[in-house]
Amino acid sequence: MKKAFNLETLKWKLRKNDWSAYLFILPAMIIVTMFILYPAIWSLVSSFKDVKPLMLRNSGLFEVPGKWIGFKNYLLTFKDHLFLKSVVNTLYFSVIFIPLTMFCSVALAVLLDRKIKGINFMRTVFFIPYVISIISASLIFMMLFNGDKGLVNGVLNLLNIKGPNWLSDTKLAMPIIAIMSSWRRIGYFMLIYLAGLQNIPKSLYEAADIDGASTFQQFRTITWPLLRRITMVVFILLLINCFNVFQEIFVMTGGGPADSTITIPFLIYNEAFKYFHIGKASAMSYILFVVVVIISLTQNKINSKKLDY
Amino acid sequence: MKRKKEFYAKVSLYILTVIFLVPLYWLIVSSLKTDAEITMFPPTLWPHQINLKNFPYVWKYLHFTRTFLNSLIVSISTTVLIVIFSTMAGYAFAKKKFIGSKFLMTVLIGTMTIPATVLLLPLFFIITKLGMYDKLVSLILPFGVTVFGIFFMKQYIEDIPDALIEAARIDGCGEFKIFFTIILPLLKPAITSLAIIEFVNNWNSFTMPLVLLKSPEKYTLPLRLGMLSKETVAIPWSQIMAANVLTILPVVIIFLLLQKYFVKGIMSGSVKG
Repeated sequence: MKKAFNLETLKWKLRKNDWSAYLFILPAMIIVTMFILYPAIWSLVSSFKDVKPLMLRNSGLFEVPGKWIGFKNYLLTFKDHLFLKSVVNTLYFSVIFIPLTMFCSVALAVLLDRKIKGINFMRTVFFIPYVISIISASLIFMMLFNGDKGLVNGVLNLLNIKGPNWLSDTKLAMPIIAIMSSWRRIGYFMLIYLAGLQNIPKSLYEAADIDGASTFQQFRTITWPLLRRITMVVFILLLINCFNVFQEIFVMTGGGPADSTITIPFLIYNEAFKYFHIGKASAMSYILFVVVVIISLTQNKINSKKLDY
Repeated sequence: MKRKKEFYAKVSLYILTVIFLVPLYWLIVSSLKTDAEITMFPPTLWPHQINLKNFPYVWKYLHFTRTFLNSLIVSISTTVLIVIFSTMAGYAFAKKKFIGSKFLMTVLIGTMTIPATVLLLPLFFIITKLGMYDKLVSLILPFGVTVFGIFFMKQYIEDIPDALIEAARIDGCGEFKIFFTIILPLLKPAITSLAIIEFVNNWNSFTMPLVLLKSPEKYTLPLRLGMLSKETVAIPWSQIMAANVLTILPVVIIFLLLQKYFVKGIMSGSVKG
């Protein structure tokens, strides 16, 4: 009896189903399956295998199916001191990049949320770096922070300070890269915050004015709490950004000096395309993936809890 | 009191604007210096004499016309595919009820958390297998749809009244005809924003060309630029900066011309969802 009932609902569902929808999503689904889902599964499978690629001149690299070796690739990764170093380096980058970008974009959004002369020009200035490629921005910053002829050391020279060789210093190279990344993205996040600010009703501020609240108090009690949802989204976007730092490393330092700027993606690139350690590179990719997922999920949980105000 | 505050806000804004402009200023000034002047310390804040010779030189050195065309072909084709495919999918997810729509949506959201580096290696093998290695099509087809694009269009399409589609259906309009003659024209502003965002993303793409291209005559601009600093025979920094100006210029011009749509697209694309 129950079975028949189910069959009926199924029939009813099938009749109501809009079959043309599948035609509309078909191209998108083919591309996503072929070039995102399949690669993602391939990586997972390869991380448990001993894949040895075959190089054919002029036609690229072919995979040769390897033997199953269990968790050996993961063990190798965790034993690799460079992997640990890249984790530390990526963290160092994040610790500078995330607060800097967040603080500047909120501050700029608050400053730009008013009517003054030249506001459109200024908004454009802050936004232009975002349309510049990471490669171009990296080259500009290499020039700015060059030890022998850079502008920064030139200015320091005027103050009688001998500037360091920024990008060849194991402690300073990463902060420079983080500052460059921030410079490129602040405009983008400023815009997101600006959109959020414009959604806050002006009457809230008027009421606070009457109560005699200072600008800082108003920011702390009205602006910041109401921007919390956006901040959560921005945080996740910035975090994903930290796990993708590759191009700036490739161009600016090549991982040096003394491995101080090797990030996780840069290491994965080297393992895969320099040493052809396919299995190990896949294992590293999956460790990275799991970390991203865990952080996103926890963030989501915290987010949904804090939202009940 | 209030006026004083406004004054401080203004001043800090002006200072920040100047700081933000410094890298761009330095890019332009450096590209105008001679080989001799660029190596001087302390650096000159403005070139002693404006040297425009760097530009024709790097134009030739980079095979600029060829490289520029490669970039243009890749960015435009990819953008067209993204716009068409993402809009079609966005339409289905916004306006059609079909079995599995929730599941497929979850899968799509899930793919957004996959870091780009995870896909790099397998993409490389797939491209090789399909015989697209070292061909421009390898930079177009795999990137012909973005999950961001699907969501972006879905949000816009949800605002179109259902009655419009119903009326057309009653008049005997076919599903694809509805999409192309009724939905698409209504989406012009959304499509423009999406197209600009995706064009800029693809124009700036570096990692994929680095992995998927081998012959220098197929290089795109950022790849060529990125390889400059790796070349064994180094060219002077003034020329690297001139090449950089040439690479940045097209995308900045597009941005300045279509700024309104670009800003609108970013604002509505990232905040709503």
